[in-house]
Amino acid sequence: MPTPQTPAAGRPDGPAAGGLVLLILRRLRDGIITLALVVAVIFVLTNLVGDPALVYAPVDATDEEVERLARAFGLDDPFLQRFAEYFVDVFTGDFGDSHWQKRPALNAVFDALPNTIMLTLAGIAGAAVFGIIGGIMAGARPGSVFDRVNNLTSVAALSVPNFWLGLLLIVVFSLRLGLFPTSGKLGWSSIVLPAATVAIVHGGRIFQLVRSATVEEMSKPYVLVARSKGFPRRTVLWRHVLRNTGLTTATIAGWEYVRLWGGAVFAIEWVFAWPGIGTLMINAAHRQDFFVLQAAVIIAGAFVVTSNLLVDLMYRAIDNRVKAS
Amino acid sequence: MTGAGTEAGAPPLLEVEDLSVSFNTRRGVVRAVDGLSYTLDRGEALGIVGESGSGKTVGSLSILRLFGLFDDVTVTGAVRFEGRDLLRLSETEMSRVRGGQIGMIFQDPLTSLNPVMPVGEQVAESLRFHTGASRDAARRRTVELLDRVGIPDAANRYHELPHSFSGGMRQRVMVAIAVACEPKLLIADEPTTALDVTVQAQILLLLDELRREMGMALIVITHDFGVVAATADRVLVMYAAQPMEHCPTDHLFQRANHPYTEGLLRLVPRFEHRAHKRLRPIEGQPPALTEPIAGCPFEPRCTHAVDRCAAERPPPVRLGPSHHSACWLAEERARRETAPDKPWEQP
Ligand SMILES: Nc1ncnc2c1ncn2[C@@H]1O[C@H](COP(=O)(O)OP(=O)(O)OP(=O)(O)O)[C@@H](O)[C@H]1O
Ligand SMILES: [Mg+2]
Repeated sequence: MPTPQTPAAGRPDGPAAGGLVLLILRRLRDGIITLALVVAVIFVLTNLVGDPALVYAPVDATDEEVERLARAFGLDDPFLQRFAEYFVDVFTGDFGDSHWQKRPALNAVFDALPNTIMLTLAGIAGAAVFGIIGGIMAGARPGSVFDRVNNLTSVAALSVPNFWLGLLLIVVFSLRLGLFPTSGKLGWSSIVLPAATVAIVHGGRIFQLVRSATVEEMSKPYVLVARSKGFPRRTVLWRHVLRNTGLTTATIAGWEYVRLWGGAVFAIEWVFAWPGIGTLMINAAHRQDFFVLQAAVIIAGAFVVTSNLLVDLMYRAIDNRVKAS
Repeated sequence: MTGAGTEAGAPPLLEVEDLSVSFNTRRGVVRAVDGLSYTLDRGEALGIVGESGSGKTVGSLSILRLFGLFDDVTVTGAVRFEGRDLLRLSETEMSRVRGGQIGMIFQDPLTSLNPVMPVGEQVAESLRFHTGASRDAARRRTVELLDRVGIPDAANRYHELPHSFSGGMRQRVMVAIAVACEPKLLIADEPTTALDVTVQAQILLLLDELRREMGMALIVITHDFGVVAATADRVLVMYAAQPMEHCPTDHLFQRANHPYTEGLLRLVPRFEHRAHKRLRPIEGQPPALTEPIAGCPFEPRCTHAVDRCAAERPPPVRLGPSHHSACWLAEERARRETAPDKPWEQP
């Protein structure tokens, strides 16, 4: 099959396998740089703003204890030396020990990690159903009852803070109706409400974007041409419109997933006491457990970087498939 | 108005009767077509001319009931195609007519094709939908069609996306789509407006050839009297949503009756024009379509208008077997042997 040699198709990272590997390597490099920056910012914040020994020490420590701590951690070494050591530690997986949980900070994070992964995946799946399928159906018939109901829901969901929506769901579905546990992780039904919160808030944003992309696409001249061939609206939508909006749609959903790891999911975890990274971070902060907090922030950062990379690769894969079909 | 004589008993291919189309918009009700009537026989070609906004496109799209998906439209009158009123068909019945019995070509070839679907597939999908042809049969027929409309190396270009085709080539693909199922009627809405002059002529020639080969009737919408002269047997002149004059194409250039037609013809540049015979634009603007018009819509701009013109809408006056003019002065004007102000009639 001849590939059209036009500017649009002749991108540097074409469908060739070599280009793809290069792309992945380049993105990994960017990701590592990003993470290094995150680490650096955390270090600077904890070491330059205030006395690090005070930050790491328990609240009720005496001056003497703080001094001992500082010596033990090598906090009286020169700044740059400490910075370099910290870097090496972090990138070799040594995040320090949790004085609260009396074990390596990383272990505490890894215990919480699967729960956050589970919640983000369940949440984004729900968000995709509401946002993508709902957005397409509403965009295909703007002004219909289906459109109005969903549009209203998504606007409402977007105009309240996500934790507030979580509380609302708890009040209605746990306290009033008693259908689901209010908090914690007690069996499978526990995930329903936090995942629903994610689905409604993030699905709401996906819905808005997908809906307007669909409405815009449906008004294009080629849609009129497709209709002039006799195709009913459904066929026009599936055969023609979705081929054009599919890429945008997948990317929108992917970005929402990245956004979850960037922080959006953590407040929801806290509201439902879902034992994930967000809840861990907040507990660690309360207990002045900075090693755990740092580890959690860096691991979450790693997930942002990785999911960003995956969204990017997915975009390429769909784009190339569309171009090559 | 009736067209050229039809065989006794058999209905004409297309009979548009008192068609009116209005859009309910936020700015009010827009009457885009108001009392349009004409007939078209099998194999016949009708040109529809008129300035921008006169209702040519809406009038033709309403034959196929193709309005914007989100428009609030009211359509009255009748559009009888082989005796069946298309305005009364169900959506399912209508989808057999669209693309199957009536094909349509649009103005802008650059946006008419789906940018992410191979061009061949865009022709083949219509064949498969209407004829139930197998994938292979549809593909073979598509290659033949692409070849017929003048796409070089059609078999290989089948798989290419529209962006690798020029405007003229895309319009050829569009023609292939429209005629794929050998429709009985082809509607071409300004098929050449977006193309450059040499390509325009080629596309018009192609349309004319295909019409003869397939025995299709043709409605061609245009601003350009050159296009009318090249393709149409008869001409319908529209102004402000209403039909003004309807006549055989050769009458148009010799015996145009309506003052509006006359005004339009005066805009056509001619080689015989000397420097002192400047093109004279029609003074004034077309009326807003949101306001009701009591009389003749052209009256405010017409240099011949009499009192009656503003008060009462003139009915179409029959001046010959297929010549009608909606003007109170039609008969009087028809009696003049030659009009003194027709520069194009000079030797
Ligand atoms: N979807 C719509 N909603 C509201 N008004 C419309 C719509 N489509 C067309 N109109 C109006 O109807 C009138 C006739 O439009 P139409 O497109 O038929 O004109 P036209 O003769 O084809 O003009 P052109 O030569 O510019 O293509 C115009 O005044 C236009 O603004
Ligand atoms: Mg038009």
